[in-house]
Amino acid sequence: MRGRRAYGAVLAVGVLLVSAACSSPYESDSEPKAGANNRTIRPVEGCGDTSWTDPADLSPTRLPARCQAGAPPPQPLPKTRKLTIATGTLSAEYVAPLQVALDKGEFKKEGLDVTLKVLPTPDALPLLAKGDIDAQWAAPEAAVMNGIRGGFDIRWVVGNFSPDPESKSGLWVRLKKGESADRVAMAGRRMGTMIGKGSVIAYPMEQALEKHGGGLDKIQYAQLGSADVLTALQNGGVDSAWLLDPVWRRVDGEPGYTFLGGQPLGEPLGGMLYGPSLLNDDVDAGVALLRAYIRTINTYFISDYKQDAAFVSYLAKLLKSDEAILRSTPSLRMDWEIRTGTTDRLQSAYRAQGVSEGDPLPESKTVNRALYEEATGHRS
Amino acid sequence: MTTLTPDRTSVVVRRPGPQELHPVRTHRRRRALELSLAAAVPLVLILLWQLAAAQAWIDDRVYPAPSTILADGWDRAAAGDLWPDVWATLKRVLAGYAIGTAAGYALGLLMGSLSLVRAALEPSLDALYVVPKLALLPIFLNMFGLGEGPQVALVAATVFFFVWISTMSAVIAVPTGHRDAGRVFGASWWQMFRHVLLPASLPSVLVGARIAAGVAVLVIVASEQIAATNGLGHLIFDSRALFQNDVMFVGIVCVAVLGVLFSELVRIVGRLLTPWAPRDRGRGQS
Repeated sequence: MRGRRAYGAVLAVGVLLVSAACSSPYESDSEPKAGANNRTIRPVEGCGDTSWTDPADLSPTRLPARCQAGAPPPQPLPKTRKLTIATGTLSAEYVAPLQVALDKGEFKKEGLDVTLKVLPTPDALPLLAKGDIDAQWAAPEAAVMNGIRGGFDIRWVVGNFSPDPESKSGLWVRLKKGESADRVAMAGRRMGTMIGKGSVIAYPMEQALEKHGGGLDKIQYAQLGSADVLTALQNGGVDSAWLLDPVWRRVDGEPGYTFLGGQPLGEPLGGMLYGPSLLNDDVDAGVALLRAYIRTINTYFISDYKQDAAFVSYLAKLLKSDEAILRSTPSLRMDWEIRTGTTDRLQSAYRAQGVSEGDPLPESKTVNRALYEEATGHRS
Repeated sequence: MTTLTPDRTSVVVRRPGPQELHPVRTHRRRRALELSLAAAVPLVLILLWQLAAAQAWIDDRVYPAPSTILADGWDRAAAGDLWPDVWATLKRVLAGYAIGTAAGYALGLLMGSLSLVRAALEPSLDALYVVPKLALLPIFLNMFGLGEGPQVALVAATVFFFVWISTMSAVIAVPTGHRDAGRVFGASWWQMFRHVLLPASLPSVLVGARIAAGVAVLVIVASEQIAATNGLGHLIFDSRALFQNDVMFVGIVCVAVLGVLFSELVRIVGRLLTPWAPRDRGRGQS
């Protein structure tokens, strides 16, 4: 009798749970609810025609948008808002605008209390998606695309930089007998990289490889630590490598090595990602954050900022990096705008790499330019 | 059933209970109850998880519902995407387990039998035993380079210690009387091993081997995250980095299933090898 009662109880619990477990009522929030796109945009003092460039302009010689120094002027929020921005590192040069904005009090002028938190992308992304952190200084990597595809409300809202034409950060190859810079066969080569699969670097990598008969699906990867990539290239462990700043300086000009290509000029591949808290819940704070960031670029990173020795010393101290290393590479072209089609090209590279599933996401699901356009007073 | 009769001498009369009256039926019922509980508890937990996801008590984009994981796992298995990773992990586990078990058993036997060898090696092996095995991975990477070598070596090193310790202590625990009996009958070294030490020590050794089976799966998953380009550990952490939570959970479920199956396999092999040992019926112990 007791046994029957136990079976009955188990059965009842099962039936109850099964009957309750119907379809998920959890609505996808990948469509922004609030009006980041329906806000009133007013002209901004100090930001004229040069504060916007056509996103479709992919010219490598395009000058990045700029306002006057100190513009756009601060518009403090009525109440101080605490914001947490995740970043993978605090010492890389591309984080400098955020560090300078923090140090020079640009965020404070907007009524923002910003904290930069070092978190690797895989750790930060779920937090951003859930709204536990407000923004992420990263890039629209494959993980971001997968997150958006999975129903999370994440958008790439502002760009970071494109490389200087003098920069040779990118794909370097050891020349074999009979090969020259113009005639290198990349198919079947072994490439060393410290960058994991699904990084935005997949796109310039694919471009550089395709030019030389290779492709992301035609080469072998060897994922190595930052210190090992150059060593492996030099001792023959790999016959090509993706070298970052300032490591490429070590092989630049050396016989037997040639540079095949790097990040496209004039096309930022990273920047700020916003989660639901700044896209929907507090758009004013989202715009204020970008206003402070853009003002910092216009004030401190106008063009070749490394010409100013005092500023380089200041940056080295702020980033806790070696001043000589900072000086050894050209200035980054800080660029807050996002080019048309970048996320399409990125997704194409992710598919070639086999790290993305499903249909490619349209740009309307991945990019939101409305916030930086509002910050600079541009009306589409 | 027990009744206390109100008698001056207080005689205890024990009447037969159902176990004595209907032993087969009672045992069958008990066994059925145990099996039902073994199946029902995980089933209820899974249903609770499904319910939580369906009712949005948890975010099913971060913690996908079991039905989603099952469907995704099925699709991947049908498309053939899952098997290369399962096979890669299984190969590493089996190879490392075989090497570690053989080495651990041989050394445990030697150290259990010869006190001088034990005195010489035990402190060093004890020191190595407490080192987290994952910390040895960089050394194995230097020794064996990239590829299968470091993974197999790591599993072997992990398994070795469990089997070595259980073998050594089992051999030491063999009663002196058993050894004396062997000597009295003029047993050779091989006969002593075959007829005294092996049967007396094998049940304990197999307990160590079963624990090692679970730990082998545990350590390979951690190792594949760090230094492998395939395998279930790589699948789990790669999909986490790519924000593919459903794939990540498929990997976790596969690891759990692999661990259970491997542990059960070792248990069954143990039962076949030691029919004289007290029967370990697995989940239920009645």
